[in-house]
Amino acid sequence: MNWWRAFPRQETTNSRVVGVAILTLIALLVTIVLPPVANSELAGGAAIAIVVLGLSWLTGWSGQISLGNSGFMAVGAYAAGIWAHHHMTTPVIFTLALALVAGGLSGLVVAIPSTRLRGPYLAGMTLAFSAAVTPLAQNFTSVTGGEGGIFLNALVTPSWFAHFFHGQNASINANAQWTADLSVVVAGIMFFFMANLFHSRTGRAMRLVRDNDVAAELMGVNLSRTRTVAFVVSAAYAGVGGALYSLLQESVRPETFPLTLSITLLTLMVLGGMGTLSGAVIGGIIYSFSANLVAHVNSLTGVNPTSNLGANMQGIIFGVLLILAMLFASRGIVGLVTPLRSLWRVVMSRRRRLRDTLGTTQ
Amino acid sequence: MSVFLSSSFIHNIFGGLATGVIYSLVALSLVIIWQSTHVLNFAQGAMAMFATYIGMTEIDRGVGYWWCVIISVAVGMILGGMTERVLIRPLYGKPEINPIVVMVGFLGVLEALASAIWTSTTRNITEPFSQVYYQDHGHLIFLSAFVIFQMVLAIGIMLLVAALFRFTKLGLQLRASALAPEVSRLLGIRVGRMLTIGWMLSAGVGAIAAVIVASGNFGLFPTNMDGIFVAGFIAAAIGGLESPMGAVAGGLLIGLAEQFILAYWSPNVAPLGGIIILVVALMVRPQGLFTKRMSRRV
Repeated sequence: MNWWRAFPRQETTNSRVVGVAILTLIALLVTIVLPPVANSELAGGAAIAIVVLGLSWLTGWSGQISLGNSGFMAVGAYAAGIWAHHHMTTPVIFTLALALVAGGLSGLVVAIPSTRLRGPYLAGMTLAFSAAVTPLAQNFTSVTGGEGGIFLNALVTPSWFAHFFHGQNASINANAQWTADLSVVVAGIMFFFMANLFHSRTGRAMRLVRDNDVAAELMGVNLSRTRTVAFVVSAAYAGVGGALYSLLQESVRPETFPLTLSITLLTLMVLGGMGTLSGAVIGGIIYSFSANLVAHVNSLTGVNPTSNLGANMQGIIFGVLLILAMLFASRGIVGLVTPLRSLWRVVMSRRRRLRDTLGTTQ
Repeated sequence: MSVFLSSSFIHNIFGGLATGVIYSLVALSLVIIWQSTHVLNFAQGAMAMFATYIGMTEIDRGVGYWWCVIISVAVGMILGGMTERVLIRPLYGKPEINPIVVMVGFLGVLEALASAIWTSTTRNITEPFSQVYYQDHGHLIFLSAFVIFQMVLAIGIMLLVAALFRFTKLGLQLRASALAPEVSRLLGIRVGRMLTIGWMLSAGVGAIAAVIVASGNFGLFPTNMDGIFVAGFIAAAIGGLESPMGAVAGGLLIGLAEQFILAYWSPNVAPLGGIIILVVALMVRPQGLFTKRMSRRV
């Protein structure tokens, strides 16, 4: 009876290119009108969106949970930071590529013992990994700068870009917009690759492994290799996102990657919608608004933002949102939109059918 | 004998076992929950921390130490039971990721709330026993009254839990509803109530671990159970999450490993000891060192 299945939504590589490109262009246009503060928040959101996308791929598409992506972020950030500290003039794209490779390798190291594990074992194993990264960074002080970390100044605004800006605070405006544009473009590239990866052979195999691993094995899918690939890709995304985040922050420090960051990432992924590109975009947007959101809640409830409660409001809000989303809307904001979209599609195809019928009878 | 007792090797053994019993307690509490509801409670450490804060801040009002311990454990048990009822019960039958995510969220809420209410500065609780090492003819013996108290309390709790599960009617009901919930329900056991009791027991054991941690050198602060939870989880995982004995043994093993890394390498990398053991154990026996069941549920 599912007659509307006769009209599948065509999703090809071309439509994915167009979709990601349009979104990137819109974001670039938005950066022109935004004030510098909002631009730097947008840049941070784009970096976090990349990490959330990697986590979303791992949890939503391959069904493996990870509390270690803040650890992978730290690995990418330190790889990029240590390189950029010694080689100031390296193009940023190269530094980020280095972070991609470093993140991917750390993912491989964690994946080899972990891919035989499921659910809670895996979550605990990755948690142990992310708990180990900070002490390691604090221990090898000569390389990582220990507690103080490494200071970076790698995102220099090119002179051709700065020429567009005049008047007061020209350099600040130029710098904020340049970093935002750069982050948006990097995020666009990463999203484009992930869009294709979702629909690749590996991506489809991964969904089968998630839904029914026995069937997947019978179909000839190599379970542990597929799960390892999922981990490596997710860690590589976390590496790039973490490196970009640190370049924006202009420092790499152990305290940037606490356990609570993994909780934030999970919250953003679940709120947006697991295993979807748009979910990761929404997660990134929520992250860029989170400081404003927390300030808003503080002013609504009359809490002094500098008090203890005000300072911890973000942790409380994110944790409560994560619990509520998981209990009542486990498919996130995207999950709330999807029924509307399919309803719209049903209505449209019914109208088209009606028109076709009328057309033939007249 | 006294020279032997004061060697640094023996010091490390005692130190490792003292830390290890705490890990064993946390691991045991995780195993109790895992056995009854097949949920790995990522908020176990945070729940215990929160209960300890509520109990131990009563000291400021002049309540005696032991009353505070009892309050902490009682609050922990209530918190555990309520968590099962409110947060976990709606999720039975859902994908196994869901309860993990919910408990991770709960962990975040509890830690943020604790630092909002009691600030994140470390609070030192006057320990009930001296931490000063005993001496024998001028040689230090690396045992203090506090270390003995810590070990005796932890081992006593473990024996109590073992006795409860083995010799009481409640223990039999708990084991039955964990093993075969459908059959137990037919036989008249109130399985839902048993799950809540399992969570309460587990949270109580966790609260005792947190009380010991808070009374020692480590002190009480909102994230003080994070590392201990990770070590406890690793201990439980080494044992296969199903075996209480395995969890206890795993905890002691990790305590010893961390102590020796701390003594002979660097205090910063001590948390790595547990991870190395976990990786090796998982490579050798992915189902856990102490489990009998060889196949997994599909």
